[in-house]
Amino acid sequence: MLPLSKGNETNIKLPFSFIIFSLIALVLSQILVLVNGQMLVNGSFRLPAIWSATHILVLGWALMVAMGAMYQLVPVAFLTKIWNEKFGFIQFIVTALGIASFSWMLYVSPQNALLPGILMLLGILMFLFQMFMTLRTQAKPNILTVFVGSALVCLFLTIFLGITLIFSLQTGLAAEYYQAIFKSHLLMGVTGWFTLLIFGFSYKMIPMFSLSHGFSMVQARYVYGLYISGLVITLISFYSSNSILLKAGFFFLLAGFSVFSWHISIIIKKRLKKNLDKSFSFALGAIGLGNIIHLAAFIGLWSEQFSTLIGPLVYLYLLLWIVLSIMGYLYKIVPFLWWTYKYSKEIGKQAVPSLKDMMNEKIVAPLFTLFVVAVLAVFLSIIFKTILLFNIGQFVLSIVLIAIALSILSILKK
Amino acid sequence: MSLKEKVLEALKSVYDPELNINVVDLGLIYNVEVTEEADVEITMTLTTPGCPLHDSITSGVRYSVQGIEETRNVEVNLVWEPAWSPEKMTPEGLRLLGR
Repeated sequence: MLPLSKGNETNIKLPFSFIIFSLIALVLSQILVLVNGQMLVNGSFRLPAIWSATHILVLGWALMVAMGAMYQLVPVAFLTKIWNEKFGFIQFIVTALGIASFSWMLYVSPQNALLPGILMLLGILMFLFQMFMTLRTQAKPNILTVFVGSALVCLFLTIFLGITLIFSLQTGLAAEYYQAIFKSHLLMGVTGWFTLLIFGFSYKMIPMFSLSHGFSMVQARYVYGLYISGLVITLISFYSSNSILLKAGFFFLLAGFSVFSWHISIIIKKRLKKNLDKSFSFALGAIGLGNIIHLAAFIGLWSEQFSTLIGPLVYLYLLLWIVLSIMGYLYKIVPFLWWTYKYSKEIGKQAVPSLKDMMNEKIVAPLFTLFVVAVLAVFLSIIFKTILLFNIGQFVLSIVLIAIALSILSILKK
Repeated sequence: MSLKEKVLEALKSVYDPELNINVVDLGLIYNVEVTEEADVEITMTLTTPGCPLHDSITSGVRYSVQGIEETRNVEVNLVWEPAWSPEKMTPEGLRLLGR
């Protein structure tokens, strides 16, 4: 037997700082979209208010929540301590200031967004450095390390391409590649960073939350190979303007995602826990939705309306795959963090609540169902240019997201 | 009741907060050694090496046994081999999982 006892747990205040910031950003982004909804319905995605709302949602919420979750999950999933927690707090302050000022500048004066963008870039680079220093000490790198490491590389590329976009906008440099850089920025951020990160951590969290045992991990290699090939081929297609390469790239992305869905279904079939938690079930459902969106994007490529379809599909992918997955896992991560803070020293001394007791699970199913319905309503309103449907869908979505944010924050009262 | 039995009983008060099943029924306790001097050595595992509740559960195991008056020193050894498997669970543990 190999004795092993190392304390890798992170100071709870570090992940919590990120998560609380992210929940505020989530609420703000929804209010901004609600106020500027009319422009979206008219098909105008590239407007300062929409840029700002998108970046508050994607950076202020999703990126910050991913960073917070990584500060918590990396030490436990990879059995290694965070390299420097103090550096982590400084990184939080720099990134939070960077994202807040960047989003604000995108709203009021996009051409002056370079400076706050650099501050945000610095925060993200600090995070990448922290993760690099942490992961390099991992005793036995595995397929999870490869997924998470690749996701971090994609994050770096996303930020680099985003800054290049602003630089190009300001100076006119590389103007002929602006479209290609913009598409690469989206691809690396949405399908690269977030999807690879969710894939990687899903391989740790899904067996853990469902108590699955006795499954093979061989399929994960195919998932990685196919998905990375899809990313690279699609990237090349943007710069070569080759439509066959674009179709091939989308096909590989679809194939990678499909193998992932299939692999997760195998893992779930091997579970011991019969009744899964509601929020976790929705996170699993998000995989199916992500797969359908990949399929729709691939089929859409063959139609002439692809250029008008891709915007709404990216929206759907962001909300029904990335946001839904993250929200599902947040309902597991936040109770765990708070439980650790409040009760980890009491376990064994007195009766302590279970993680399920930390939240009101009854509201999860209605809230998450409403979320999916509202997102679909917004999607359809953009496709059919129906302002009334958009207003109803976005209003419901904003209320649901605010309710979700508040219900997560209410865990802190337990 | 022997000290070893008391230890096992105390361990039943330590719950995995995610599964809400105690560490004995979950089959996490591999061995309990009690010396004549009332020193207790517990060898245990967790369901997965990357369990986020790593420190909380092992500390809970230590606290629960330290709470027994007769014990002198308590040592908890966390091991990953042999790896935990569902066969190590008690029928009660399986029942609580809905099996």
